[in-house]
Amino acid sequence: MAEERRFRSACGAPIALRRRQHSASCRELAVRGPRLQLRSLSAATSAVWLAAYGLFAISENSVVLSAAIFVSLIGLIIYLHFVKIDQESLLVIGSLGIQVTSSYASGKESTTFIEMGQVKDVVINEAIHMQKVIYYLCILLQDPEDPQGVSEVVPLFQSSKPRLDCLIEVYKSCQEILEQRKTAPQSS
Amino acid sequence: ENSPAPLPERAIYGFALFLGSWFGFILYLIWAYIPETWLFSLGLTYWPQKYWAVALPVYLLVAVGIGYVLLFGINMMSTAPLNSTHTVTDNYAKKQQQKKFQEEAIPALRDIPISEVNRMFFLPEK
Repeated sequence: MAEERRFRSACGAPIALRRRQHSASCRELAVRGPRLQLRSLSAATSAVWLAAYGLFAISENSVVLSAAIFVSLIGLIIYLHFVKIDQESLLVIGSLGIQVTSSYASGKESTTFIEMGQVKDVVINEAIHMQKVIYYLCILLQDPEDPQGVSEVVPLFQSSKPRLDCLIEVYKSCQEILEQRKTAPQSS
Repeated sequence: ENSPAPLPERAIYGFALFLGSWFGFILYLIWAYIPETWLFSLGLTYWPQKYWAVALPVYLLVAVGIGYVLLFGINMMSTAPLNSTHTVTDNYAKKQQQKKFQEEAIPALRDIPISEVNRMFFLPEK
């Protein structure tokens, strides 16, 4: 069972939330950001090449032109492989744990798994971020010594930064699964 | 007894400061504008170089401009990052004591844990 809804990110870009229910205690929530646009790519490349041509016209050194081509190619590869995140997904498995995956534009996927015993709760927190106050979803990790304490905060959906309406949907889905571990019999 | 009302001592301090600042300003103008030869002929030889009459105000204004940028940067650096526990709790909240619940009394002020706040806001009450 899969459904997709459109939302907006904190800066106004369109994002899509896809919810899939694999079983009663397993859900996958994926947030997809906008793809790399051809017009921004050509605008950036033209700007770099025009600047290089201007430098070439001043300095009469043709190394500037080949350096500009090299720089724009390497810059594009680095951007696609390390910076541009296409999709961030959250896989919540009731008795096992939570898996967070980020897929980059070049196809690279980076995954983090958090065991359910370490997860205290998944909450929507507000914090100050770069002259704005944003809502963001985060996983609170349990402190082993103190049952009421929080040892670590793991923020989710950092690059797509969905707004509150999208976060509430994700929060409700996660809470439905997390509530089951209270009612389910404890197995050690 | 710390009231901002006017007092005779405050009036005297204020007037002394007013005269002092006028004196300092006239002295600065004399130092900056009157040629060195005239000052030497009066016998006043031990002045700093006139270069500083222009350099010090410039230093001050550049420092004020940089101060804006610096303050902005210091604020950004002291803001807790999104993954720190300071966005969720702090020392006072961790050490707070739970007061006993009394019937028909207003509950005591306390820091409510974020899980409870979230449930109240975002999960619809059945």
